[in-house]
Amino acid sequence: MSQSGLKRLLLVLVLLVPFAGCETTLVTKPVKKEMPTVNVPQADRQSNWLGSQGQGSCVWATTISLLRWQGRYHTADWIRSNYGGGEWPEDHAAKLDTAGVRYAYVTDGDVRFLELACRTRRGAGITVMGGAHMVALVHLDARWAGILDNNRVEKIIWVPRETLIAEWKASYGWAVSPIYAPAAPLPQ
Amino acid sequence: MNKLLLSVLCLLAVFAAAVPCLADTVNGVLAEERVVNLPQDQGKWYVSVVGSATDARYDEIVGWFDSNASLKKLKNQVQFCTVTSDTAIYRERYAPNVKGLPTVRMQKADGTVVYEAAGKNIPMTAAGLNGALAGAVSTAQGIRPILPWRRDMERRCPGPCPTPQPNPQPQPDPEPQPIDDGGPPKIDDQPTEPPLWALALVCIAGVLVGMGGGYGKQLYAKLNPPVK
Repeated sequence: MSQSGLKRLLLVLVLLVPFAGCETTLVTKPVKKEMPTVNVPQADRQSNWLGSQGQGSCVWATTISLLRWQGRYHTADWIRSNYGGGEWPEDHAAKLDTAGVRYAYVTDGDVRFLELACRTRRGAGITVMGGAHMVALVHLDARWAGILDNNRVEKIIWVPRETLIAEWKASYGWAVSPIYAPAAPLPQ
Repeated sequence: MNKLLLSVLCLLAVFAAAVPCLADTVNGVLAEERVVNLPQDQGKWYVSVVGSATDARYDEIVGWFDSNASLKKLKNQVQFCTVTSDTAIYRERYAPNVKGLPTVRMQKADGTVVYEAAGKNIPMTAAGLNGALAGAVSTAQGIRPILPWRRDMERRCPGPCPTPQPNPQPQPDPEPQPIDDGGPPKIDDQPTEPPLWALALVCIAGVLVGMGGGYGKQLYAKLNPPVK
């Protein structure tokens, strides 16, 4: 190749350098990830209420919000009318069986359950405050956890992932998730 | 003494049997093996049927996913969502982006829309919708779909098919000619540029010749000293 040819090639290469790595962004449309993953509409977020024994119904409020997110409006309404008050894992499970609800739960603080519940976009009810309260885990990624508290349903509370996991494990590590089709992701 | 040791051992054995039960106690309730595993279905696609709860057409389309065998099979393979326009899910997640009601939408797990039809654009029959969805899936996966008229060929023609008798008889096809379909060009096997190893060889030879020449000059100068 002649010297002028080499010079031309070098010039082309120099001009191409600023465009290196741009190809993927031009060809592939980036997917916008929804935060939180389980983005329960404001109107579907069930607030806590006092049961017949004077106890809060945080477990049921959380269950109802997640059922609505999974399109089970009638089941959620039935639960709101028939159940309430404080719950323990076994009693809650027995009542869900009675209502014919499909669900999964753990009481051993297995973090994989939380990861899978959020990865499958279903969310999970998790115990906090030493087991005295239940909230909905609506997001869990490598850094952050999103919580929907039935005592303040207006806003999602964001806490560092490890803080949330430590809190959950110190609160009996109970997590429960209804198993139905979650609301479809926003169209891309 | 032996009896005492034996009774202590028995007591320990009873405790050993009881300990695992106590360890399983959660909130004072003995945990049983009733935990159902969460399904690992995060890669599933979504099919949404959106419409008004009072619209007969919406009910009909939702019903297709139970009455039509192919759509029923599809329903079990995806996250199937029926969304009515009186719900918050519709107002927040569908109302801003649907073109009309009813709507049938198929999405990948990341939300990418693979198929969407609304109102009169929805196929008139269950089989039609199934075909449209199947075509969309094939397109999304880069698979060339089987043409609809070929799909049910066997079913439509169970016995020996009728043999057409055209008149006049068709002429035999001409010899097929190669078609340039814009595919990749053929590349010559002979390289136009010399291979790298040959270039390296020439360089090494050049260096050796240069060194030899230099050494020869020095030797010549040594043997024939300049006249001072």
